[in-house]
Amino acid sequence: MLEIKNLHATVGGKEILKGIDLTVRPGEVHALMGQNGAGKSTLSNVLVGHPAYTVTEGSVTYNGKDLLAMSPEERANEGLFLSFQQPVEIPGVPMNYFMRAAYNAKRKHLGLEPISSGDFVKLMREKRKIVELDSKLTSRSVNEGFSGGEKKRNEIFQMAILEPSFCILDETDSGLDVDALRIVAEGFNQLRKPDTSAIVITHYQRLLDYIKPDVVHVLINGRIVRTGGPELALEIENQGFDWIKNEE
Amino acid sequence: MSQYLELFQSQRALIDGNSIPFLNQHRDAAAQALAQLGLPTQKEERYRYTDVVGAFAPNYGLNLRQAHTAANQPDAAVLRQAEALYGTLASVQADAITALNTMLVQDITVLCIPAGEQKENPIRVSQLLRSTAPLMQNRRLLIVAEPGSRARILLNDKADEGQDFLTTQVTEVFVSEGADVEFYDIEQTHARCHRFHQFYADVQQGGRLTHTVFTLTGGLSRNTTQVRLSGKDAEANLYGCAVIDATQHCDNNTLIDHAVAGCRSNELYKYVVDQQAVGAFAGRVLVRPGADQTDSRETNANLVCTTQARMFTQPMLEIYADDVKCSHGSTVGQLNDEALFYMRQRGISQADARLLLKQAFASEVINALPFEALRGRLQVLVDQRFRGELNHCRTCNLCGTQNT
Ligand SMILES: Nc1ncnc2c1ncn2[C@@H]1O[C@H](COP(=O)(O)OP(=O)(O)OP(=O)(O)O)[C@@H](O)[C@H]1O
Ligand SMILES: [Mg+2]
Repeated sequence: MLEIKNLHATVGGKEILKGIDLTVRPGEVHALMGQNGAGKSTLSNVLVGHPAYTVTEGSVTYNGKDLLAMSPEERANEGLFLSFQQPVEIPGVPMNYFMRAAYNAKRKHLGLEPISSGDFVKLMREKRKIVELDSKLTSRSVNEGFSGGEKKRNEIFQMAILEPSFCILDETDSGLDVDALRIVAEGFNQLRKPDTSAIVITHYQRLLDYIKPDVVHVLINGRIVRTGGPELALEIENQGFDWIKNEE
Repeated sequence: MSQYLELFQSQRALIDGNSIPFLNQHRDAAAQALAQLGLPTQKEERYRYTDVVGAFAPNYGLNLRQAHTAANQPDAAVLRQAEALYGTLASVQADAITALNTMLVQDITVLCIPAGEQKENPIRVSQLLRSTAPLMQNRRLLIVAEPGSRARILLNDKADEGQDFLTTQVTEVFVSEGADVEFYDIEQTHARCHRFHQFYADVQQGGRLTHTVFTLTGGLSRNTTQVRLSGKDAEANLYGCAVIDATQHCDNNTLIDHAVAGCRSNELYKYVVDQQAVGAFAGRVLVRPGADQTDSRETNANLVCTTQARMFTQPMLEIYADDVKCSHGSTVGQLNDEALFYMRQRGISQADARLLLKQAFASEVINALPFEALRGRLQVLVDQRFRGELNHCRTCNLCGTQNT
């Protein structure tokens, strides 16, 4: 469903992605690992169309369509969702108002009428339970004053509402305590449909204990230098990245 | 300016004859002051952001024969009080526009809130401009809140489309001991309107004044707001919100005068300046010698949405007393790109995302207002304004008049 070919991208005039090839089929979970600054978040940002990043070469096909030709909102409405590494705070925009706008944008894209406020309240309540998100948080401004962990939980809550078909989780585990990690990861698994695909970016095996990857990639200096099965993540957990680099 | 003085000299009898009598006693002094001052140029500090001379230059028509029907039988005591207070805050020597208004004004609205009376429902003053030719109108409002009284006044300014208008308005508000006055000034005029509102208030011991001005639609808007805190424990809250675009020009010029010790003032003005609009805010806070234990806060925050839009901001804090707590700050910023992108990643269109951020920005002022029922209404008006759906009369029920 997602096919990345020879993708090169720059930010601030500097080339960060130097030829990425990656194919994710329906229902697959791919883990993406790699040292700080390797370009993992850059890849997620490029995929969701962040305007600060420029694609200089290569292509991305999503469900048969040219992903790079779509606006960020089109990509989102076509089912692409990014759980941000650092979710932004938006003072003055209430969480429930924001989510309703997003939900209705998707409905509009599907040619459906906006949801009634009663039904939306019900939907929020139901989805909040899945990630055990405090109702106080959904009545506040988007992410404003949320703790690091609460922000991550809120990302998965939004995913629960929007039911994307392709999820990118960028270090969703960082900032979560042990219990929260379990709740959020199990929530994610519960929300996944059989054909939902995901790219899971993480530094740690503990997340992959819950969200089991089919394929593991290692990204170093803007390139995928190794691809393997779940055991690759365990090797990295034990030995770091140096051995891969030395083999290069 | 000379055209106004000439008009006054040649039509004096007509002006006097069609006026509330006590207004006539002030015209000579006003004409003299105007001749001496001249209309302010942009070299004058208080008017540096607005071209007053240009706004008053065209030849607007002035209807000097308006029929005067009293809204209700004026109470003799109220009239005597109004007569005694008229012009005591709005000094013709200090301001040329106030002088011009005083020289030509023929009509006055007087509101008197008797001692101890607690008015829960707002008193609405609706002003609608309607004319088949260019028109100048001079307006006057005098409000007396007697000791311990409480009132909310809702002023709504509108104008029929298709005509050039120039209005001057002078408002004087006397807040007596322990009285509480909330004044809401909501402008929904149009691009061919030039509006000058000179607002003067005096707040006595333990009294409180809340002044709010919303500039939603209009052409040129210049609001001068001067509040003197002249009794211990007096309080002033000034709120402003301007949502301007196209060629709109909005200039708010405020002065809070801490004349005695132990008073509080709080000021929050926010502007959303879009397209080629120009916004200006100058907020002067004066803490006079002896006004110790003054507590004053002033904030002006602005969102400038395009590269052609301009915003001038100038907080001025002058402190001549000791042991005061004063702060002021102003910011000019753009829409937050990361927040915009976050919303778009959730499927919200660029236009809607921008709208949400603008609404969020303005809602801080709305949420600060003490009049709960009006907050919801203002939120709707501001939202409509941002969506470009605010047609000044069709969509609004504020004034209660139905205009077709
Ligand atoms: N907006 C930007 N402006 C300038 N440089 C950027 C920007 N975004 C990323 N970079 C740079 O690109 C490089 C890759 O960053 P990226 O965020 O993709 O790394 P990452 O693999 O996600 O790292 P981490 O594990 O620390 O999250 C870094 O050197 C970073 O400083
Ligand atoms: Mg990263």
